[in-house]
Amino acid sequence: MECMIPRTDDAEAELVVRAQAGDHRAFALLVGRYQDPVFRFVLRMSGIRDEAMDLTQDTFLKAYRALPAWRPEAHFRTWLFQIAHNATLDVLRRRQRVEFVPFADDEPEGEILAVTDPAPTPEQALADRQRIGMLERALRDLPVEQREVLLLREVEDMSYAEIAVTLGIGEGTVKSRLARARVAALAHYRGHAGENSDE
Amino acid sequence: MNEHRPDMIELSAYFDGELDPVRQRGVAAHLAACPACAAQLDLLRALAADFERLPAATLGFDLAGVIEGRLAAAPRPQPRRDRGWRDLLPVSVGAAASVACGIAMGFALFGGAAAPRIAAMSVFDTMPPGSLCIGLESCYTNGAKR
Repeated sequence: MECMIPRTDDAEAELVVRAQAGDHRAFALLVGRYQDPVFRFVLRMSGIRDEAMDLTQDTFLKAYRALPAWRPEAHFRTWLFQIAHNATLDVLRRRQRVEFVPFADDEPEGEILAVTDPAPTPEQALADRQRIGMLERALRDLPVEQREVLLLREVEDMSYAEIAVTLGIGEGTVKSRLARARVAALAHYRGHAGENSDE
Repeated sequence: MNEHRPDMIELSAYFDGELDPVRQRGVAAHLAACPACAAQLDLLRALAADFERLPAATLGFDLAGVIEGRLAAAPRPQPRRDRGWRDLLPVSVGAAASVACGIAMGFALFGGAAAPRIAAMSVFDTMPPGSLCIGLESCYTNGAKR
């Protein structure tokens, strides 16, 4: 299985090296490149726009201070998201909104992970707009651990290896956590579809 | 069906192209013959498509300009370097000198091993013999008032 993390491309690595040497303009270019992806991620994680804006700025300031520790072997995006992720978790912990549920990665794989016969799917019955609303609700309701892994995979298009580095977990955990997150999101779909059909 | 039925973990990894090539082909073969699993895969595809349709949130302003301004006022990050033994030399010399001074003072105070232990204790006791306070006069004043 190919699980290598792509290296930072040469142009980007050059920007990072210049930033390490104190070139603020080079760092500003990196900020310009990543400000929206980082903001998108922390906004979906925190759910509060003002907080996400502060977190985004905080992420880049922390990254700047940590620049001497960056090595060309590291993928800059992954490294940056790692900082954003840690900063976001700190904020969520302070808000006491993180529900650190005992994690089920090591549990025996129960019925939730068995491929069941497909239930009637809501996607044919619901319009796109409703589906997006359901997805947003699902994301909001998912445990943080599942939400972050889904966002990094589905929105940021990270490989399992990149997600593992970003979240500081093993690739096997990424694999199982992502599957559980998808199952949970789909269950939300079904739940909301049930509510809607009851109305 | 010529392959064992994949569970959701495997199906999810298959969808992401994260299985090893042999298993990836095995799951593909299974999916071709199993409508139930193929439908599960369709659900994963639909979920991914919904993620693509999520509104793309943007920061809405040039953070780079803000950061650049703040960095101009901030000190430049210093590269880390490994500390060699030469860097630690002044610290080591200082520590050794402190220990030596401590030992010398101890000998000066107690006169070496010949000093009786009880005398040394009395020097550091907070109360003199007889429990008489030799501190502030106010101690006695307060006592008298009571």
